[in-house]
Amino acid sequence: MGQFAAAVMRAFALGLWGAVLLQSSLSGRLDLLLSSVFHPLVALSGVALLLLAGLLLRGQESPAPSRRQAIPKIWWLSAAVALLVLAIPPNPSFSTLAANRPAELGDETELSFVLPPAQRSLTDWVRLLRSQPDPSLYAGDPVRISGFVLPQPGEPPQLARLLVRCCLADATPVGLPVRWPAGRPPRADQWLAVEGTMAIEERNGQSRSVVVAQRISAIARPKRPLEP
Amino acid sequence: MAQLATAWAIFQGLLLEALPFLLIGVGIASLARWLAPGGAWLRQLPAHPLLGPLTGAALGFALPACECGNVPVARRLLAGGAPVGTALGFLFAAPVLNPIVLASTWAAFPNQPWLLAARPGAALLLAVLLATVLRLLPEAELLDPVLLEERRLSQPLTQVGLLERRSGLVGAIGAKVQPVKVARPPLQEVLQHGSREFLDLAALLVLGCAIAATVQTLLPRSWLLAVGGAPTISVLSLMLLAVVVSVCSSVDAFLALGFAAQVTPGALLAFLVLGPVVDLKLLGLFRVLFKPKAIALTSAAAAVAVLVLGQWVNLLRL
Repeated sequence: MGQFAAAVMRAFALGLWGAVLLQSSLSGRLDLLLSSVFHPLVALSGVALLLLAGLLLRGQESPAPSRRQAIPKIWWLSAAVALLVLAIPPNPSFSTLAANRPAELGDETELSFVLPPAQRSLTDWVRLLRSQPDPSLYAGDPVRISGFVLPQPGEPPQLARLLVRCCLADATPVGLPVRWPAGRPPRADQWLAVEGTMAIEERNGQSRSVVVAQRISAIARPKRPLEP
Repeated sequence: MAQLATAWAIFQGLLLEALPFLLIGVGIASLARWLAPGGAWLRQLPAHPLLGPLTGAALGFALPACECGNVPVARRLLAGGAPVGTALGFLFAAPVLNPIVLASTWAAFPNQPWLLAARPGAALLLAVLLATVLRLLPEAELLDPVLLEERRLSQPLTQVGLLERRSGLVGAIGAKVQPVKVARPPLQEVLQHGSREFLDLAALLVLGCAIAATVQTLLPRSWLLAVGGAPTISVLSLMLLAVVVSVCSSVDAFLALGFAAQVTPGALLAFLVLGPVVDLKLLGLFRVLFKPKAIALTSAAAAVAVLVLGQWVNLLRL
């Protein structure tokens, strides 16, 4: 391959990766993949790669001193992957992801302040129950939460959220047991808003808090489904 | 189908997270190449058995690059006549002891501060150990013949016998060899070099992310837990993974993140410490530096040391 074509291919490949990063930032795809702390970094890197590709192309107008080079096959492969990433947006199944993860919240058991019950999100509830697990403290409290349906082995599905510190690869599921109305159980991965009250139930000889669902409505997956 | 879609999303998450860090790493290495071409100051380094490797390791903060970027720099150091220990310390420790790698490790594991201290500490220890072991070999058995020849030409005759050099004036004792002045390369050349480096490493990153996302999603959790929960086997399997995946050190923390929940802490540290020193990609790159025997010695010594280290960490933290 001629040197000019090699240089154009290089600029094209860099520009392609720049486009992947920038498109992911602009289309909101990152909300589904990364913790929001990293979003500006991804966008800036996309712009930098596009600029670099432009600079490389401009430099080719003058005769370059470097020698004739072949294009490594692995570049074609990675360019093809970049095109695939652009073409096929991610659509993960949160329940499949959660099924492969241990549900650990880490060491953060101390809560600095607690919201009134009706304003607590699902994650707030789970954190509160971990720090003060006595179910009698919450019996009768109103609950308004949303999350996805996470099937549990040997018991009814929970309503859950994913916590992400860095990216989807470290997602940790947090879930609340729900007493669903009799009839058809909810489908795995479905996003639901649940209104109800906290109650106490006995399971395996231990009492625990459970949400008694009174009103359930299906909702679309939130724009930012991951929680910090 | 749900598993495939999930693996695809994890793959994208890992890749989009890691690419900016890769770009920063390559960018800084390119900047260093442009600002300090030839690296004349690198030759003024100490030759002390311990101080040499430590100084080399500390250079990582001045020349932050991942391991692939370090091989050419280490070669230039050795060819220019720098002390072997210093060059080896740089080669083995600088891929971890640099701000980009520490930042990405922190970004991936904000909740595990012990790892942020243990990773550079272990890397430094390993680098000093490897430099000490490799210095036991005479230079002629350690270094690649072409490199050795370049090195002999840069060394003063007081240190090298005439028979060890193919050229040089008989009787020119102690003649000081003037380091060759390297002109600052044109910006366009630096850009081209940097872009090639970025694309090479990005392609390896794509492969690494694909392996990590597949293992994480498609392997049954019971397998992962059985392997990952056993102290010795978990360390060994993550060491094998580090060697196979060959991802560069500025982004490997993000891949480790994918396994962090399922494996022992010792295995996690072993992955983060072994990868920058020995992996499949590096074994190819090392051939511009070492003879095959020295490469084998490096791999064996690093593997044993990291296994012991992983076991020890498991004893402390499990």
